[in-house]
This record gives sequence, C-alpha cells and structure tokens, in this order.
Amino acid sequence: MSVKTLDVIRKRLEERPDELRRARENGLKVVGWVGYNVPEEIIHALGFIPVRIAIGGDDRLVEIGARYASSKTCVFIREIVGAFAENQDPYIQQTDILAFDATCLQNYRAAEVIEYFFKKDVVVLAVPRNFHLDEAKEYFAHEANEFTRLLEERAGAPLDSARLAESVALYNDIRKTLKSIYTFQASKDNVISWEEVYDLIQAGDLLDKREYLSLLTQTLDELKERQHHPVIASDDGDCRIFLSGSLIPRGDRKLIGIIRSVGGRIVGDDLWSGILPHLDLDIKEISPAGVALGYLNRTPHAALPYLDLESDRRLKKLQERLSEFKAQGVIYHTLRYCDPFTFKAKETKNVLAKSGIPLLEIHTEYAGSDYEAMKTRVEAFVEMIKIKSEIAEEQGVLVDA
Amino acid sequence: MGKQLFRYSEANKEKFLESDNITFNDGSTVSPEEIWHYLTEEAPAKYPSAFEVNLYQGNRGSRDETLPTSLKTRYLGLTFSARMEKAKDNGKSIAFIQGGQAVDPYTAADTIALRPGLVNQWNNGLEYGNDINKENLRRKKSKEKAFHDMSFEACQTGGYEHVQAGDLRIDVIAPYTVLRCSDISYGVEAHRHGPNKNVKLLNVDYPLRFQADKPWAIEYFAKNLRRLVNTLDEVTGRKTSENDLLKAIKLHNTGRRLGTELAELWWSADVPPTNSDDRASMVSLGNLEVHGDVQASLSVLKEAKKFIAERVKNGVKGHAVADNPKRLFILGSCVGINGSRSEDAGAIVVGRDDQWSHCSSLVEEVGDPFYNLAKATLEYPYEQSIEKRAQWTIEQIKKSRADGVIFIHNWGCNTQAAISRPIVDIIKRETGIPTYIHERDLHGLRDEQEQNRVNAFVEML
Repeated sequence: MSVKTLDVIRKRLEERPDELRRARENGLKVVGWVGYNVPEEIIHALGFIPVRIAIGGDDRLVEIGARYASSKTCVFIREIVGAFAENQDPYIQQTDILAFDATCLQNYRAAEVIEYFFKKDVVVLAVPRNFHLDEAKEYFAHEANEFTRLLEERAGAPLDSARLAESVALYNDIRKTLKSIYTFQASKDNVISWEEVYDLIQAGDLLDKREYLSLLTQTLDELKERQHHPVIASDDGDCRIFLSGSLIPRGDRKLIGIIRSVGGRIVGDDLWSGILPHLDLDIKEISPAGVALGYLNRTPHAALPYLDLESDRRLKKLQERLSEFKAQGVIYHTLRYCDPFTFKAKETKNVLAKSGIPLLEIHTEYAGSDYEAMKTRVEAFVEMIKIKSEIAEEQGVLVDA
Repeated sequence: MGKQLFRYSEANKEKFLESDNITFNDGSTVSPEEIWHYLTEEAPAKYPSAFEVNLYQGNRGSRDETLPTSLKTRYLGLTFSARMEKAKDNGKSIAFIQGGQAVDPYTAADTIALRPGLVNQWNNGLEYGNDINKENLRRKKSKEKAFHDMSFEACQTGGYEHVQAGDLRIDVIAPYTVLRCSDISYGVEAHRHGPNKNVKLLNVDYPLRFQADKPWAIEYFAKNLRRLVNTLDEVTGRKTSENDLLKAIKLHNTGRRLGTELAELWWSADVPPTNSDDRASMVSLGNLEVHGDVQASLSVLKEAKKFIAERVKNGVKGHAVADNPKRLFILGSCVGINGSRSEDAGAIVVGRDDQWSHCSSLVEEVGDPFYNLAKATLEYPYEQSIEKRAQWTIEQIKKSRADGVIFIHNWGCNTQAAISRPIVDIIKRETGIPTYIHERDLHGLRDEQEQNRVNAFVEML
C-alpha cells in the first residue's frame, strides 16, 4: 500500500528540526502549542512557526514528569512535562513561546508547572465550560482577543487582518484535503491505511503549513490516481474498529500496533490527536474572536462538561462517524488519570450498546508492562466481532436461500 | 465484647449549661441542656462509631470538654443528617456544591448548600448503631458503586451514588465548576446518565487561569451566578432579588469577618488555646455553611470568639496539646491529618489553606452584588497562580508561626497534586520551613502509614 508522497513526508519530518533551528537563527520564532481550542491560524498569521507539542509513549519521560507535576497527573501531560525537564526533544528545544489552552484542566496545570520550573514563556487561553451558551461565547471572544494581544506583544507587531485571512484560507484547505484523504483509508480495497493517514495528520503538527498542504495535495492526487472511486465498505473478513477516547500522540503506537497485530482494521477515530479537530471548523469572521469561536463551536472536547445526554454533540458525532465508516466496534482508549475520557467510558458504552455497537475500554499508560494484557483483551474483542459478523452473514445467507 | 466509648464527664456539665442556645435558620433554638442530653444519651446509642475509643478514627471529634463550642460543633455534626431530613420534610431546597466556594447565592435563594463532605456526612448519619469498622465498610461499598458509574480514578464522588439512588433528596447539583478541582465538573456531568431525572444540573462556570483582573471574566462569572440563582429559584418557586443577595453577602461577610478574627486571635496566643480539631471546626464556622444552617453556625461562632478571647487572655492551653508543640500548616483540598494522634506525637495543626482562602475573601457590599461576588470569588487566593498562591500561603504560615508544612492531596486529585511541588518549593525557598508532600486515600480509616509519616515529620521538626 505504499503511497510515494508519504515517504517524502517522512523524510521532511526528519529534516524539520534542523530547519526550525535555521529559521530561528534567521530571527523567526517558534510557538509550541498544546490543547484543543488553540486557534493556530492566529499564531501562524502573526508570523510565528506553530508546532504542536504532543508526544507520548515514553515511560521514562512520564517518570521524570511525575517529579514535577505529580504521579496523579495524566500520562500524556506527565510525559510533556518530563520532556521539558529533559529538554532533548528536538521540537521542544526549538520552542520560543508556548501557547496552552485550558480546555483540559491538566493541560493548564502543565502550563503553570512548565512556566514555573523551566522558565518558559507561556500564554494561556482560557476556555469556558459552558461553551454552548451565548455568554460563554462572548467571554471566549474576549479571551481570544487577549490571547492575541499577548502574542502580538511577543511578535512585536499587530495581527494583520489580510494575513489572518490568508492563514484561515490555508488551514481551511488543509482541513478539506485531510477529510478527502481520510475517506480513502476506510474504503474497500484501500491503498492507504488508517495508520498512514493518522501519521499524515500528525505530520501537519510539525511541518511548514504551506508545504504540508502541497504534500497533502500530492498525496490526494496519488490516491485518486490509484483508486478512482473509493467506496467505504468492508473487505472480506474485516474487523472494522473505530478508535475513540484519550489522545494518542506521536511516539505512542502501542494500542494501534496491537489492534493491527490481532487482525483488527482501524477505519476511523475521533481522537483529539486525529481527524476530529479538523472537522466542522467553520470560521465565520476573519478576526481573533471569529477564529476562536470557530474552534469552540466544533465537536466539543470531552473535558468540557455537557449536561444533557440526549443532545450531546460529541456523542452524536461519534455515532455519525461510526455509521459513516461502517465500524463494527469501538476501542475506547483511556490514559491513566485522563479524567475527561475515563469518566465517560461506561456512559459511552451504554449509549453505543443501544445501537448494537460494542465498546471495549482499554485503560493504559506508557509502560510496556500491560502489553500482553491489552493484547489479550483486544484480540478477544476482535474475535468476538468477527464471529458476530460471520453469524450475521450466515443468517443472511440462510434468509436469502 | 462491646467497644469502649468516650463519655462526656458530668463534672463539666454545669459550666456547659451556662452557655448560649443555638439558634437555627427557621428560628428554632436548642438549649445547652438539650445538647448535653443528646451528646450523653442519644448520640452514643445512635452513632457509637463517633464515640468509639479507637486510634484509627480519623474524625473522632474533639475531647475538650471544657470548651462549650467543642460540644456544640459536635452536636451540629451529629445531628446533621437528621436536620437535613427534617429540612427536606419541611420543603427546603438543597443543592450540591463544590468545596472551597462561598455559599452566598444559595443562602440568598433560600437553599441549603452542601459540599461533597457534607453530602457524605448526611448519608453517613442515616444509619444507626455502627462501630467504626462497619461504618467504614458501608462507606467503601457505596463508593465502589459510584466509582463503577463514574470512574475509579475519581478522587471522590460527591455523593453521586446516593443522589442517583434517591437516598439523599438533593434538588440541584450546582457547584462552581472547576474551582480548584476537575473531578467535580465530570461528576456533575455523570448525573446526566443516572436514573434520577429529578435532580437539576448546572455548571456555574468558574473561569480558569487567574482571571480576577479581567472585567469580562468577572462579568461572565456574574452572569453564571445570576443563572445559578434563577435555577435555584426554579426549584424553590420563589424570586430572589439583588437585595436578597446583598443581604446574604452581608450575612456571610459577618461570618467571614468573625472567622478571620477568631483565627487571628487563636494565632496571637502564646500557647495554643485549643487543640487542632477545635481550631479547625471553629474557624470553618466562618463560612457559615459547614453545618447546613447558616444561623446555627453564626450563633456558635459568635460565642466561640468570646471563649477563645478568654482562653488567650488567661493563657489556657488546649486540651491534650503538648508543651511547645510543633506547629503544622496543612495545604490542599478536602484534606487534613488526624488531629488527636498528631497531638500525641507533639504537634498541633495551626492552619489550613482549604476553607480558609474563601473565608478570608470579603465581598464588597456597595454596587452590583452579582458583580461584587463574582470579583471576590475570582480573587480567592487559592485559585491564583503558583507564585501568588504561594505568597499568600507564606503570609498565613508566618501569621500562624508554623514550624512545618504538609501539602496533602487525595488519590486522584490531579488539580492540586499537579502544583503541590512548586507550591512547597516556594514556601521552602522563602521561609526555610521544612515541607513534605503527602498522598492519601480520601476514603476509609486513617491508617498507620499516614500517621507514621506525620509523626516522623514532627520528630524531625
């Protein structure tokens, strides 16, 4: 299933840290951002190089992070704090300014801890819990303006509206292209896997945005050439898994690898580190508030509580995506102490059970010690889905006969 | 063989009977005679666990029999469950709130506001006759159920299991969301999938990241407070006015002032005028919410100040306090150490930041009461940046002349645990006072491991 442009992207990723170093030597500044509602277009339009700080899978860094942010902080945040403590990650090394949002409380605590211990220049965007109310949107618009003001101070220049419009257009094109590419991975006789698309999405966290769009366009052209009419449908014997729950950043491929190794095929996700942030982002006005509200109005992050189960847009989106990608089961990934998702695991399972979609919660951290236990559970889940499909198929044959 | 129970000595009865009545919200009163009868006759039969002589008891209540306030706060604690049941029978509305927040808008809206600890206290009091082991098992069992419905990584479940089962007649879940804690917000949300559809849910959205200097953040929180009052009014069927809120603010300011004065009086004494538990229970009266009855808290608080002034003047040392005890300041949410056992080890707890941060935050009484309350709430020292919070804590440590600081966080409390180290780092750097960070389980009996660490720390001091 080799898509040539993916090799180019891998190579460009290897070269990227050096490129950032040279850019900084030439006076450009890198803004490392962490969060779900950070309006990246504003960072880009101010002339900064935005880089998403999202790493995982390294238990050693988790241990280091725990010395600063306690062992009760979620694994992902602990690893980030640990990475700042160690200062060996090439992207962290190249970061001049950090932009965090307070969507998840642990995220904002990480901002405080990194600011305090590692003397980093941190800008935080507050995010309302009552995100769906008009007064919360008004408050968030103020916060977006304040966030922009703080970044303008650091940029030494005000935000130019025309440049913001250009950045919004560029990011919109990226999102549109990603969505098109995403369809291919879930199709019958697919020429690109979900894993490859997932890596491709995360490459965008690091690469130059214009170049990234160009590479995405090339990828899409290549895919179209090789598969003219992708149809989302099952291949024989597929076990179509949808991945939900806590984020899976670069460096953490434990669960993804296990699913593949036991014969599961991931066909979709609604992860914070995957396609979800790129969906439904509708920027109605070219202004800091307009961009930020576009972010806030997307499918909400699980860290933002919503009190009516029936009209919960996050769950609706999940169900919509399950149907679109013809998923047969959900593996719900929760990281140790990742409260936004662990609190919702059972509820999500119950909601999906009503439409006959089974859900397996995998609660894990970055240590390898639970690998076999996870594998056993995932294997049993995949087997169960396959058997269920076979029975359904046999029954279908009998009915047809 | 029956458990050995603590009994109040008749020798102290006469002095106690000279003290004041407690006056409640509904205008009723209870006399010292009735309180004495309850504590010596009724309560030991109903709640033997509260009187059991047992080292592992975390909250046994103070044994300072010569301090009338000690007996009265004990009385209010032991009658809490029955009083909440009675309030419900009389049609009173009850709301679940966050710990660490003031309750002025709830008082204004004629609603009893209960933080998680009080919700649990209500439930604990519903069953009679348990010793502490049985009581502990019962609590563990209900928590396990809640962990199953929410998350086993929740630090506490805020009585979710009881509210959903209908065991506790709580009308509305309306805490200041994410003030000092993240689990509460997820806990509020968890109620949406529970079977009890009668309980109203509301996030009172407390803006994060040190927003006290931002007018738009104050306005936003003020709007949330208005929404809160409207929601409480939907339950009670009344209409709360701005004037009602102003009256509530004035009432609570009185409590906060008295609580602050009492703490400062206590700190001014050469020898600790009470033991740790009495100090804590008296100062916490300043928030007026601790016993689910603001007037009762206020009446006991007013009298307490008089007793403490007398003790300070006469150089009276608190019951069971060692000579020259090592003075400990405790940091962290929903936490404390075993007062009596720490006193046995030669220490005394002279302060906590929890429940104190908002007690020491007065609300402006001139102008829009919603705006003023929002501003004061956003200024809580506990909610500020690491540096600001640490500086405020250092001031409290200095005022209280603490010798050592313990930052405690409950298992699963990410929000406080995450900043425990930077906070104690600053304290150590700027005061030279020894500190340590301590993780503990919120539920169950206080165990030996925890006490070993406290005792070793005290020994080191």
